[in-house]
Amino acid sequence: MGKEQPKFFGGIHPTDGWDKALTADKKIISYVPESVRICMKQGLGPACTCVVKPGDRVEQGQIIGESAHFMSAAIHSSVTGTVVAADDQFCEIKTEACNLVDEAATYYKEWADVSAFTRDTVIEQLEKGGLVGMGGAGFPTHLKYETKDQITHVLINAAECEPFLSCDEHVMLEQGMAVLNGVQLLKKAAGAEQAVICMEDNKAHCKEYLEFLLKGHETGISIVLLPTRYPQGGEKQLIAATMGVEIPTGKLPSSVGAIVSNIQTAKAAADMVLGNRPLISRCITITGDVQEPGNYLVPLGTDIGELVRAAGDVKNPKNKVILGGPMTGRCIGEDLTAEQITKVTGESVSKVSGGLVVLAGTHTAESGCIRCGSCEDACPAGLTPFKIDAAMRKENISLCQTLNATECIGCGCCSYVCPSKRELTHTIVTARDTVRMKLREEATRG
Amino acid sequence: MDRELYNPHLRTKKTTAGIMGDVCLALVPAGIGAVVFFGIQALLLITVSVCTCILAEALWQILHHKTVTIRDYSAIVTGILIAFNVSSTTPIWVIILADIFAIIVVKQIFGGIGSNVFNPALVGRLFIMLVYPAKMMSYVMPMDVDTVAGATVLSNIKHGGEAGFSLMDAFLGKIPGALGETSALLLLIGFAYLVIKKEVNVMVSLSFFATVLLLTVIAGQDPLYHLFSGGLILGGCFMLTDYNFASRKGNWILGVLAGAIVVVMRVLGSFPEGVCYAILIVNCMSVLLEQLKQKHIYGMEEGR
Repeated sequence: MGKEQPKFFGGIHPTDGWDKALTADKKIISYVPESVRICMKQGLGPACTCVVKPGDRVEQGQIIGESAHFMSAAIHSSVTGTVVAADDQFCEIKTEACNLVDEAATYYKEWADVSAFTRDTVIEQLEKGGLVGMGGAGFPTHLKYETKDQITHVLINAAECEPFLSCDEHVMLEQGMAVLNGVQLLKKAAGAEQAVICMEDNKAHCKEYLEFLLKGHETGISIVLLPTRYPQGGEKQLIAATMGVEIPTGKLPSSVGAIVSNIQTAKAAADMVLGNRPLISRCITITGDVQEPGNYLVPLGTDIGELVRAAGDVKNPKNKVILGGPMTGRCIGEDLTAEQITKVTGESVSKVSGGLVVLAGTHTAESGCIRCGSCEDACPAGLTPFKIDAAMRKENISLCQTLNATECIGCGCCSYVCPSKRELTHTIVTARDTVRMKLREEATRG
Repeated sequence: MDRELYNPHLRTKKTTAGIMGDVCLALVPAGIGAVVFFGIQALLLITVSVCTCILAEALWQILHHKTVTIRDYSAIVTGILIAFNVSSTTPIWVIILADIFAIIVVKQIFGGIGSNVFNPALVGRLFIMLVYPAKMMSYVMPMDVDTVAGATVLSNIKHGGEAGFSLMDAFLGKIPGALGETSALLLLIGFAYLVIKKEVNVMVSLSFFATVLLLTVIAGQDPLYHLFSGGLILGGCFMLTDYNFASRKGNWILGVLAGAIVVVMRVLGSFPEGVCYAILIVNCMSVLLEQLKQKHIYGMEEGR
């Protein structure tokens, strides 16, 4: 007590917790589909080239997609089986065998001794394993850790501030030791003294459990609880909340001595370095308006529609299907049943898919801005969204620049709070990208 | 892309219509008070004013092929406020003129809700005060509408005399004045509702009232008479707080400015009243204030 809880400014409380309660007591279900359809574009970089052809037999963990581009991580087969189809975009493999969890592996049960590894060997393994940030951004992890900046803190992002999603929470609870071993490795990869696992205070039970596992180990790993407030898990907000510093504009987290990685990224790092398994599976929350919401451990490339079917199909055909969380996720279609999701969208689980949320269909028309200032109060970047919105609608790009549209993090808080239901996030993200492009053009012109 | 697909996919339940509807509800106690004090004529004025505002807005938008926005209830708020700001003896056609001026000239020509530079209701009232001053200045006694009041509390104070009414009368509303401004009690009940629902920037009102109290004490006048008479409570609770100008953080300074202007006008000026002008002046200043505000932007050095 007495000590003020660290916080960032702005932000919202989109829900009161009923959303996460949908999947709170559901154990992770392992699900292996009859075939997987792996997308050749995973994460930030350009698409990989598929290096197998139809008829080939592939082993689980074998490389099937490669790219010369430094931003594209390698893609591995998530199952053992026969390649059915392969093109620039997808590689479809019929499953013969798939091992999702290596039950026998000791790093799932015991504290691992990582003293034999050096920073370089860990980073090399992360690159080989095709690891990218699994929180949604998909930035290649090895690039992040190769930084020349002196890193003091590795922040493990377990905030899971997106409403509805609970896969990170369940990974901590059910694969806690693997997570902690992964954190050890990431700490090593960063050459940092400290690793801090950061979570919102609605996950106090996870903190308790992980601290129980940590007991008796000299680790340099600590766990902090942060206020439950969206977007607590935003990289910039997480750093402000835990370290009390802000990343200077235009700089990377490493400029303040921090690297932020998602909790599932940490767990995958353990798989890679200690279990010699590349990134071929992940945990995803299937929730919202479905009969049986739950968390699923699936091989990459699992069809989204099939997962919704496994979750008992949608409750109401009038809906919106969101890939990712409801705040930043992408709507992949409206008024779809599980079968239609497969047919219409063809989406499959990627390295960065944290959730699939089915929401009851809602739509309210935009009306005039009443200048109430709610968006200004909610903006965690400190912007004045309604002014940027007005400027952008008049195509006044230089005014957008003056209003610092470049600093938008696209969190969606402004649109959430707007009583006039204006599509602020959309216009401001557009303004941000337009201004950035303009700045780049100016820079190249000299 | 279809806008229904834009993220975020969760939105607050709060709507513009909800906010404006709550403002209407908050004005109901004072509206009932007006009818009790000034009789059926008050009800007639309020009804005509609201209907004219709705019609004017709808017609303008239909003629200009715009989306008709009367369902956001903002025209109703303007209608009620205009009626609240006139004496019960005001002829019907005069208030209709005020409504049309407020909705068309002050609100719609500037681009509709949120784009207006001034509070429409106040400019509407000012318009008829300037054009038909004689029709606006005659007040009657509440509960006794046949007796023409010689003077209002403020004009009594203005001319150096006694207030002429007890403080309790002023608080409850048993004083001559415009329809909705006489009863501080009923207005404050409505205002409390908005505060509880967090739909008003209470800091603006508080700084306004505090400034008026402080400055009238310094001027050697009775601060409570100033607080409870004239349009001070009505203006401070419902018009100064107009979302367009005052809902944002830091705008309490507008309350201080408005309070200072009111006292200067009431004490030193030639009119007994000053709230209307004060609010319109700070409406302009809110634009200036927006320019001066320094916001902290994540990751940026201050003063850049």
